[in-house]
Amino acid sequence: MERHDAIVIGAGLNGLTAAATLARAGLGVLVLDRNAAPGGLSASHEIAPGFRLPRYLLGAGGLPARLVADLDLARHGLRFVRAEGGVTLFPDGRHHAGYRDGAVHRREIARFSRRDADAWTRYRRDMLRAARLLRPRLETAAELPVTRGFKALKARLGLADGLAAMEAGRLRDTLDLWTLSAAEFLDTYFESDIVKVHLAAAAMMGGTLGPLSPGSAGRLLTPWLATGGDAAGGAPDILLPHGGSAALTATLVAVIEAHGGRLRMEAEVTDVAMKDRKARGVILANGEEIAAGAVLSGLDLKRSFLSLFQWKDLPQGLVGRVGRFRMKGATAKINLALDGTPEFPALPEGCPALAGGLRLAGSMDGMQRAFDDWRAHMPPRDPLIEVLIPSLSDATIAPAGCHVLSALVQYVPQTLHDGAWTAERRDALGDLVVARLEAASPGLAGRIVARDVVLAADLENEIGLTAGDIAHGEATLDQMFVNRPLPGTGGYDTPVRNFYVCSPSAHPGPLMPGQAGANAAARVLALHRKRG
Amino acid sequence: MTPDTLPPPLGEQDAESPLRPEIDPQDERAAVDPSLFEPPAGAPPFERTVLTTSLHAAVAAESRVNRWTRWNGFTVAAWLTDLGDEYRALRGAATLADISPLIKYRIAGRDALAFLDRLVTGEVAPLAVDRAMHVLFCEEQGLVLGDGLLFRLGDEEYRLVTEETHLAWLMDSAIGFRVRVEDVGDTLAAMSLQGPLAAFHLSRAGLAGIERLQPMAGCWAALAGIPVYVSRTGMSGDLGYEIWVDPEEALYVWRHLMQAGAGFGLYPSGVGLRELARLEAGLPRAGRDYLGAFAAIDPVHARTPFELGAERQVALVKPHFNGRAALVRLAAAAPPRRLARLVVDGLEPARFVSVLADGRPVGIVTTTGFSPALGCNLALATLDTGALTARLTVDAEIRDELAVRRVVLPARLVDEPFWAPARRHAVPAPLTA
Repeated sequence: MERHDAIVIGAGLNGLTAAATLARAGLGVLVLDRNAAPGGLSASHEIAPGFRLPRYLLGAGGLPARLVADLDLARHGLRFVRAEGGVTLFPDGRHHAGYRDGAVHRREIARFSRRDADAWTRYRRDMLRAARLLRPRLETAAELPVTRGFKALKARLGLADGLAAMEAGRLRDTLDLWTLSAAEFLDTYFESDIVKVHLAAAAMMGGTLGPLSPGSAGRLLTPWLATGGDAAGGAPDILLPHGGSAALTATLVAVIEAHGGRLRMEAEVTDVAMKDRKARGVILANGEEIAAGAVLSGLDLKRSFLSLFQWKDLPQGLVGRVGRFRMKGATAKINLALDGTPEFPALPEGCPALAGGLRLAGSMDGMQRAFDDWRAHMPPRDPLIEVLIPSLSDATIAPAGCHVLSALVQYVPQTLHDGAWTAERRDALGDLVVARLEAASPGLAGRIVARDVVLAADLENEIGLTAGDIAHGEATLDQMFVNRPLPGTGGYDTPVRNFYVCSPSAHPGPLMPGQAGANAAARVLALHRKRG
Repeated sequence: MTPDTLPPPLGEQDAESPLRPEIDPQDERAAVDPSLFEPPAGAPPFERTVLTTSLHAAVAAESRVNRWTRWNGFTVAAWLTDLGDEYRALRGAATLADISPLIKYRIAGRDALAFLDRLVTGEVAPLAVDRAMHVLFCEEQGLVLGDGLLFRLGDEEYRLVTEETHLAWLMDSAIGFRVRVEDVGDTLAAMSLQGPLAAFHLSRAGLAGIERLQPMAGCWAALAGIPVYVSRTGMSGDLGYEIWVDPEEALYVWRHLMQAGAGFGLYPSGVGLRELARLEAGLPRAGRDYLGAFAAIDPVHARTPFELGAERQVALVKPHFNGRAALVRLAAAAPPRRLARLVVDGLEPARFVSVLADGRPVGIVTTTGFSPALGCNLALATLDTGALTARLTVDAEIRDELAVRRVVLPARLVDEPFWAPARRHAVPAPLTA
C-alpha cells in the first residue's frame, strides 16, 4: 500500500501551507483534492470565455509576512505588492480612503474632522498594541489554560506577567476590544461617522456580526495583525501576491513539489481509515487506500468529522459537539465580466487605496439593519458590498480592455425565512447589487457581459464548505483562541489520534490567512520528531 | 489653496506705503508658473505630497542646494545654503527661519484659565498677559502627552504652540468648560529670528525698543506696516525672537527682515539648523527624544515629566490637574530613567545609538549632532538612573572611506545646556554681538 509521512486533505490555502511546511521539513507529503485544480476556495474559474477570477472567494486580505519568509515564497517565484487600505464610498458621493503614509492618512481624516485626524494617533497605538500582544499567540497553538508541563507554565506565567504589568487602563482597553461592539469601540476614539463607518465596514466583511453586536470590535484588529509596515503611521497596508491567489497557489504547489511532496487532484477522500481508534490513512472515492503517519484535514470542522468518519468510530459526545460548532454563511459573491473599464466618478482619479477594495456602505445603523435582516433570514435589502477589480492590476485574467469585477455581498442569509433561494430570488439579489454598483459607477450595468451569483449554498454544494461560512466557523470569543475549534481544545490535535484539523476552523481562524495550516504542520512536526 | 500662491490683493499692490516694500510674490518663484505646482482645489490627500507653508515662496527663493525635508506634513527646507554657514550666522549674527509647521491652538473663553490649569502640569494662573511659559501635559498615568509654549494673549485668550497635534485631547479635556479650542495652524504663520544680533535686526527693521522686551514675553508691533506679534522665545538657547503673523502677509515680513538685515550677517536657515541649535540648547523634542503617550505603542517609550527632567514644570501644589494623582506617586521615588545631555569627545562627527556603562547598555541616544563651536559630538540620551554616576562610553561608528571604524568613545554627562550665553536673559537685550 502507498504510504506517506503525512496526507493533507484539500488543496486550499491552509492545506497547501501545511503541506509546504511539512515538505520543507523533509516529510513525505501527499495533498489530495477532489477538484481538478488546486486552490480550494480561491481557485480560479473562467466565468465567461477569457474572464478568469476566483469564483468563490476573492478577499483583499494578504498573507502574514512571517509566513512568506518561513516558506521562502519569494525564492519560488512569488512577488508581492503592497496595497493601500481600501476605500469606502458613501451614498451621498463622499468617500474615505485608507493610506499607508501617516501624514496623508491624517489629511484624509481631516477632510471630515480635524479632531479625528489627531485621534488617529491613539487609535493606531491601541490597535498596534493589541496586535503585538496577540500576534505571537496566533503564530502558535493556543495554550489550554489547564495544560500542565514546565513550558506551558512558563508561557502562562509570561502572559500573566504581561497582564499584571499592564496598568488597569490598558487592561481595560484590551478587554474592550473583545467585548464591545465595533461602533461603541470606535466612539471612544472618533467623532466623525464617516471615519467610523469606514473602519467598521472593512472590519465587518466576511464575519457574522453587525457593527452594533457585542464583541464585534475585535474584528477591527484583523488588518493590523498582518501588517509589517508599522512605521509609516497610516492605515495598515495589505501584502498581496502579484498575480492574485492563483499565483500564490501555484507558488505553494511549487514549494511542495520542490521538496519532494506530491499533489493528486481529482482524488476525493471519502473516509479516514482507522485502526485501533487511530487514523492510519485515507480511503478515496475509488476505494483506494493510502496510508499515512498523520492525516491533516483542510476541510472545515464539521465536514472533517461528520463526513470523513464513521460516527461510531468517534469518541462519545464528539458528534454532538461538532454539530453545535456554529458555522453560518453570511456572504454571497457576484462575479461580473465587463467589456469596459468601470469608472467611479465620485472617487479621485488614480486613488491608490482602491487596490485594497471599494466598500459601498452607508451608516452604522444601516449596516446593523442589514445584519438584522440576515439574522431574520430575510433577503438582503441594503447589504454591505465590497468591490474588487483584480484585472486592474493583472491584465492576463480578462481580454484586452475588459475587466472582471468581484462584489462580495455581506449579510446574505444562507437560507430564507420563507422558502428557498429560487432562481428569481438569485436574480433579484444580482439585480440589487448591480443597481448599487450602477449608482457608484454609472454605465456599469450596460457593460456586463456575464453575471455569476454565488450564494452560501453554492459554496456548500460545490466545494463542500459547511453553510458556506468563509470564516470556517463564527469568530466570536466563545469559538476563538483556546475555544477553537472546540471549547477547551485550542490546538490542532483532535480526539482522533494522528488526525489534525489545519483549516481556519482551528486557531487562529480567519484572523491570519494560512496561519492555521502552518501551525498545524508545526504541531505534526513536533510530534514526528518526538516519536522519531 | 495655500496663501503663498495667491497674488496679493490689487489694492495692496497699488498702495504706495513707504513702510511696505513692493514685493511681487511671483518674483520669488524663479520664473516658473506656480499653477504648475498648485494642486487643484480639494485635491485628494494622496496626490498632494508637497504641502507648503505660507513662507515657502520666500524660503524656496533663498534655497541654493534644494534640500527639503518634511515637518508635520509640510515640505520645509532642511538647509538653504550650507549648514556650517548657517550655524556661524546663528552663533555669530542671526538667522531667520520658517517655523510655520508648528502646531498652534487658540484657546479662548471664560473658562480658558480654568481649562488650562487642569490641562497642564504647571501653574498657569500667574501667567500675565503677553507672557509665555513652557508647559507639559500628561494623561492620567502621568505620562507626557506633549509639551509646548503657552502664550497668554489676553485675559481670556491663550495660544498653545506644540510640536505635534493634540486636538483630540484638548477637545476632550474641554468638555464642561466654557472654552473654545481652535487649530489656528492655517491662519497663523511663524518665523524665528535667532542669534546674538536678533534684537539688532528687529530694531533695524523698525521695532525700536524691542531690546527692552523681557525673555518669555511678547508684544504686538508693526513690521513694514504689518501687524505682528513678536515674542522673545525660541529653541536656540540664545537671544532670539519669534514673529507670529497672518499667513497672507508673512512673505512681506520675511522680505522686509531680510532686506533690513542684508549686509549685517542675517542668514535664512532651515530645520537642520533648528535641530542642531536645539541640541546645543539641550531641549528635547516630542516625537524625537520622547514619544507622546498616545503615540508610544510600547509604553516604555513614553516619559513622565520627571524622566524628562521637567520637575520644575510640575506644580504638585495645584489641587487638581490631569495626571496629578499619578505624578504625586511618581514624585515619591526616583525616576527609573532620565533624559541626559551627553558630550562625546572626538574631533569628527560620529554615529552612535546606545550608551554603555562598563560595557553594559544603559540607555539610548535619541538626538545627536556635531557642534562646530564646541568641537565635539553632542547628544540627548535617555539613561537608566542608576548609570548616571557610572563611567559612560558609546560605541561609535566613524565612516572612513568605504570602511566603518568602530571606536569606543568616552561620554560625559553635562548638567547645563551646552550653549547658554548670559545674553539670552539680558534686559535690555544687547544690540551688538
